[in-house]
Amino acid sequence: MAEAWIRGDPVALDIAAREAARLLAQSRMPVIAGLGTDVEGARAAIALARHVGGAIDHMHAAALLRDLDVMRSGGMMTTTPNEARLRGDFLLLAGPGLIEAWAELPARLLQSGKPKRIVWLCGGTDADGIGASVERIDGELPVLLACLRARCAGRLVRATPKQIEALAADLAKATFGVAVWSAAALDELSVAMLCGLVADLNAATRFSGLPLAAGDNAAAVLQVCGWSAGLPPRTGFARGSGEHDSWRFEAKRLADSGEADCAVWISALSATPPAWTRAVPTIMLAHDAALCAKAAVAIAVGRPGIDHDAVAYFPATGTLVPSLAEQAAKAISVAGALEKIAALLPAGAPC
Amino acid sequence: MLTLLKGGHVVDPANGRDGIGDVWIHDGRIADPPPGGKADATHDVSGKMVLAGAIDIHSHIAGNNETMARLLLPELRAHPGHEGPRGSWTTRETGRLYAAMGFTTVVEPAVPPHHALQAHLELADIPIIDKAALTVLGNDDFTLNLLRRRESAQALADYIGWTLATSRGLGIKVINAGGAEAFKGNVRSFALDDEVPDYGVSSRTIVKALQHGVSAIGLPHPLHVHCNNLGVPGNVDTAIATIAAAEGVAMHLAHVQFYAYGKEGARGFSSAALKLAEAVNAAKNVTVDVGQVMFGQTVTISSDVLRQFNARNSASPKKWLIHDGDANGGGIVPYDYRPTNFHNAVQWAAGLELFLLITDPWRVFFTTDHPNGAPFTAYPDILALLMDRELRAQWIARLPKEAMEVTTLPAIGREYTWAEIATMTRAAPARLLGLKDRGHLGAGAIADIAVYAPNKDRAAMFRNAALVFKDGALVVRDGKVVRETYGRTLTAAAPRDHAIERRMVDYYRDRFGLTPDFMTVAERVLGERHSFETVPCRT
Repeated sequence: MAEAWIRGDPVALDIAAREAARLLAQSRMPVIAGLGTDVEGARAAIALARHVGGAIDHMHAAALLRDLDVMRSGGMMTTTPNEARLRGDFLLLAGPGLIEAWAELPARLLQSGKPKRIVWLCGGTDADGIGASVERIDGELPVLLACLRARCAGRLVRATPKQIEALAADLAKATFGVAVWSAAALDELSVAMLCGLVADLNAATRFSGLPLAAGDNAAAVLQVCGWSAGLPPRTGFARGSGEHDSWRFEAKRLADSGEADCAVWISALSATPPAWTRAVPTIMLAHDAALCAKAAVAIAVGRPGIDHDAVAYFPATGTLVPSLAEQAAKAISVAGALEKIAALLPAGAPC
Repeated sequence: MLTLLKGGHVVDPANGRDGIGDVWIHDGRIADPPPGGKADATHDVSGKMVLAGAIDIHSHIAGNNETMARLLLPELRAHPGHEGPRGSWTTRETGRLYAAMGFTTVVEPAVPPHHALQAHLELADIPIIDKAALTVLGNDDFTLNLLRRRESAQALADYIGWTLATSRGLGIKVINAGGAEAFKGNVRSFALDDEVPDYGVSSRTIVKALQHGVSAIGLPHPLHVHCNNLGVPGNVDTAIATIAAAEGVAMHLAHVQFYAYGKEGARGFSSAALKLAEAVNAAKNVTVDVGQVMFGQTVTISSDVLRQFNARNSASPKKWLIHDGDANGGGIVPYDYRPTNFHNAVQWAAGLELFLLITDPWRVFFTTDHPNGAPFTAYPDILALLMDRELRAQWIARLPKEAMEVTTLPAIGREYTWAEIATMTRAAPARLLGLKDRGHLGAGAIADIAVYAPNKDRAAMFRNAALVFKDGALVVRDGKVVRETYGRTLTAAAPRDHAIERRMVDYYRDRFGLTPDFMTVAERVLGERHSFETVPCRT
């Protein structure tokens, strides 16, 4: 397999890197997006964005920012998957998308660890086939959560569903309850209501939250952005230091509006294409050959943790962990490719 | 390469120097004057003060909790209090701002073993300075079970060694021993003789066992203790009881300003710094760092989850993160210390009282518990206050009178000398951490050097070092970084025992259904910027 392409034609890696550097150097507003990569790759992407005065965004930033917006506007209580498993005596699963977010959830949380009561609100088809030990309550999640929080706080609610009435009483009896959700499948108000419910319950008992991370190493990339940019994804560096604006620096909006005139798309973990519809000269760093075929420039990158050593978010612990490659493959890493491109950029770029 | 710093006022208490003289650097180390030697480069530092690079033993600069604080507070500027642009509270700025002040080694004091890799990734990204991590134990199931089952002291020592090696720590810290675990069991206050639910082990038992374990494996740095009851009026008794519990064995108490509180006065809150300082003065086995409070917006970051939970309603701005971790977890509560606030003014005074009333500069350390009492960027102002009673009087005059009445600060005339500053910020921390080639300017020491140009505005002098050398290379001139190097991360050469390795594999399999590989700080993934420097244990 070739290692790099220009408009679909195989070229040497150095030639592709030179063309990528040329596109970035002449760009007035580049966006570096996707960010489906490991810690070193994310670090290199942020460094490149600083260098060229571009913006950074992650393909799952919408979900990341939904949790983050709740936290940074009011607060949050969270715990680890292991505490949920070993200490939790009550699991409140909220909404669909939980298994999609964490395939091991049934095995690690529902079928092992401390025996626990499990209630799943609006689980949809996700909740099918999990087993009889899960009680299901269906309806409209925002409404159910609002009723539940109000009843837990002792407020009167017109027409509270009976199951919710009982659930409110039972939640207060939990000794260490854990609410589990995936922001990818919920709206921000539901996340806020659920986190508010958890906080309220701690007035008398212990309850915490377990937000499940979005895919493509989003949780790790968020941490890297935090420590090396001081800000989460959807941050721009056009004015030197980082500016965070979740509307302004959304990659899809930048591309579709024409504000971005060049894009770097990084998808080394899954074969996810960009979401924008307008044609933007794109430098593609992907493992998937099909993704590489159409881009202005493409470099085939290795899979983190398989083709090269990496650091990745590990859902079972909620931490960054080493992901060591069995044997180093030839394919260049995202960090390696980005550093190669950056080295070919003219000096004295915006900052 | 031979470099000469010529004619400065050299303050090097470890070697008894305090006067005009030269300092020679040979290839990154301090050297004796070469016979008839001619320097390749000479810096005329006449009229300037020449000190070893400063060492900060307790500053929260890296790890998941710090980064969650960054994400919680996108509105904060660089380092809280620093006049940088928004979004520059980054690992890079941390290294650059520390270096500009003449600091060359900084210890991140609260690394949970399960998050150690992230802490080291962040440390590796901090330029110029050398770094180290203290690993947190004492709220973890394994330690508590060992103590519940009354296993041998050797078993705990082996476990400490294993954890240090896995997390690449320089020392061990305990944070509200048992308190975070008790909070998971819905305990809302936790004192030295309270027992952790389900384990039946008291906080005192945990502290003493870890203290002896650390001593048994010969770690240079004694157990680093964050006591119970942080911030609670009357908690001076907790600190004094913890000092007594040390029973003559070495122990370091962290950010003791937060434990220097009495219940006197009309508001039931007063400075008890005098009482605490007397206890510290009398206990020669004990060292403390202060955790000075300064006024302004900051964010408190602590693995004392119980305390942070109890403080959540004082958050300013009103938002917070409370995380029940696998062991300690963390709590992040933004806070604005106001000079018009009675409690905050008492806290400010209590910290300065401790600095000034603890008589031995080898046993009191210079910290703000960054960013909990104040961001480290406030250090220059604190140093100026310690060296100038007139400046203190000016500050006191602007603070609530009733607050000053419940402290002894207005009556204290002591001013720190340069030798005392150099002891507290250089020589003593090096000794406390077991770093023989740091904190002094004797031949063979690492050439980490800070040069200051005396100025009536001492804070300006300390904020912008005239020259800073790291490993002999000039990295800062007039407070500006001129060269961005990468330093090393210091890690203890802890003894490793094969039996404990097998036991930990079994433990993680049974309890977590995982191998402990997930928590290993694998050097292969730390990137090219990273390097470890090993610090030997006592034999």
